[in-house]
Amino acid sequence: MPNDSEVRTAVAPPGSTAVARLRSLGSGRTGPLVGIVVVIAVLATWPLLAANPYMLSAGVIVLNFAVFATAWNLMGGLTGYVSLGHIAFFGLGSYGTGLAVIHLGINSFVAVLLAAIVVGLISLLVGWAALRVRGASFVIVTIAIVLVLLLVFQSWRSVTGGSSGLVVPRPFPDMLRPEHHRVFFYIFLGLLALVLVSYLVVDRSRLGQALKAIREDEDKAQSLGIPTALLKLAAFGISCFLTAIAGGVYALWFGDLDPIFQFDVVLSSQIALMALLGGVRYLFGPLVGAIIVGSALEYFLLNFGETQFHLVATGLLLVAVVLFAPDGVLALGAALIRRLGPSATSIREMSAADVRAQQDERAAARGAGAGGSVTEEPSERASDD
Amino acid sequence: MPGPDGPADEQVVLRLDEVQAGYGKAALVLRGFSVEVRRGEIVCLVGPNGAGKSTVLKVASGLLGVRSGTVWLNGADVTGAKPQDLLRRGLSHVLQGHSVFREMTVEENVMLGGYTVDDRATVMDRVEFVKSVFPVVAERWGTTAGLLSGGQQKQVEFARALMVRPDVVLLDEPSMGLDPKRTAGMFEQVSRLREAGVAVLLVEQNARRALEMSDIGCVLDLGRVFVRGPAAELLADPQLGDLYLGGRPGGDGAAAS
Repeated sequence: MPNDSEVRTAVAPPGSTAVARLRSLGSGRTGPLVGIVVVIAVLATWPLLAANPYMLSAGVIVLNFAVFATAWNLMGGLTGYVSLGHIAFFGLGSYGTGLAVIHLGINSFVAVLLAAIVVGLISLLVGWAALRVRGASFVIVTIAIVLVLLLVFQSWRSVTGGSSGLVVPRPFPDMLRPEHHRVFFYIFLGLLALVLVSYLVVDRSRLGQALKAIREDEDKAQSLGIPTALLKLAAFGISCFLTAIAGGVYALWFGDLDPIFQFDVVLSSQIALMALLGGVRYLFGPLVGAIIVGSALEYFLLNFGETQFHLVATGLLLVAVVLFAPDGVLALGAALIRRLGPSATSIREMSAADVRAQQDERAAARGAGAGGSVTEEPSERASDD
Repeated sequence: MPGPDGPADEQVVLRLDEVQAGYGKAALVLRGFSVEVRRGEIVCLVGPNGAGKSTVLKVASGLLGVRSGTVWLNGADVTGAKPQDLLRRGLSHVLQGHSVFREMTVEENVMLGGYTVDDRATVMDRVEFVKSVFPVVAERWGTTAGLLSGGQQKQVEFARALMVRPDVVLLDEPSMGLDPKRTAGMFEQVSRLREAGVAVLLVEQNARRALEMSDIGCVLDLGRVFVRGPAAELLADPQLGDLYLGGRPGGDGAAAS
């Protein structure tokens, strides 16, 4: 092979071990768990750094987005079914929590759980219908769900308070505002840990493997006997349940629900944008995206007020992501690290080196003189044996 | 003609009886097609484009329903059964053009093949088995499947199909997208399936090469069986060679490539 020597020299041992270490960090058994602990610990310092209550509340909003986007990714990232209507389940979770606290008089956090369970069950019914279609049709169905719910919650004044909103009693009535933000920051942080671990567990499970197979080729997955319809529904249900918890806690924090915000299609697509921007194939992708988009939205609001400017900016960002970083900024970062590495190897060259090492080993074990004429395919060597 | 209670012969794994099938409201593709696949036997379907070769496989694997006729699998009437049920009953379908899951590793691909197998120990046994049949699978276990060559991907695909320990594997155009050298290797792998005790129902454009390693050949035209017989006899028939096997003369000419 003429390119044999090139491949050999391109792969320097120190570089390849660095890449291998990087890869093992992403795929090891304990690596991601340690990563979650570190990330949560770093984020936990924010209330100490935040200069004023506004910065603290901005932190709560960004964390809320991060929980939402990670929960979204459990469906959108793992199965490739992009839902632009996930806010439907966020809104249902928040209204469900508010109504349960008001009418049942139960503990606020029990109400969150109760509402999330009910919403999870509703999502199974919705998913059963919506997941019959794929691609663009699925996207449109999910948007339609939000628009229907928006109308229902605006019109059904006797229950939801309509456009004048629903005031949710606070779980800590005696607490002052900065303290309130601080407490909810840590509650959302705990929620983020829960959602990240949930994603990790699903990702590593047989269910996760099957979902990724569906993402790549649903027909092929089906031909292997994978019950695709059932597993998609399971992923959708888990994702919506976690989304509803985020909505419920949001209701307790914000204390005032308005259908126009709780069923906001624009915010819903921004959640998807966060996940896509960060990288849907990465555990921390949606979190990174939420921090970027969430901070940007707050920045625009602060500097330009209630204009439509942030919508334009969001649109431009979405275009930029699709054009220049279709796999997200984390993928971009990983590629950059690989390129800056001393060996400058691509994955293909790495595996070619692996093969060669194996071939050399086998040649040595055999003790035959075959080492000189190494063919490029171990398959053919194997079948020659 | 088999009786209404089906094939009594234990050696018959898969049998289609007088099957009529088609797509939507369009005309029938299969107009009374019958075929029989016996244990450890490679049956090759050849015929011109549009003869219904792929449709036969779709009917056999439950992806397409029949208008009339019967499908038998291991002596049971499975007409109208779902692909998943057929998979559990010992039939594995390797789809045309669909290959491995390119973004997943060889390991993940093979394990997905065993998704319907619940017992962990059985799965691990079969992993060892498919690794022994297809060495590439063992050698490239942790590699992303999309980085393998076309021929290697085919082996991963076959290994994946073997994870359910099927009695019969349906192969739809396995040589598609492979160069001649890889095609030769692929045919060798198909023979390995037979050595592993699996029956194969094969559809191939590369008719002459496919027949050379098959036991039985079955020439399809216009949705019916045109002629059926031992593969060697079909290869030797000069008229068939003209009509269906690329126009080269059969007999003495067939041996020369």
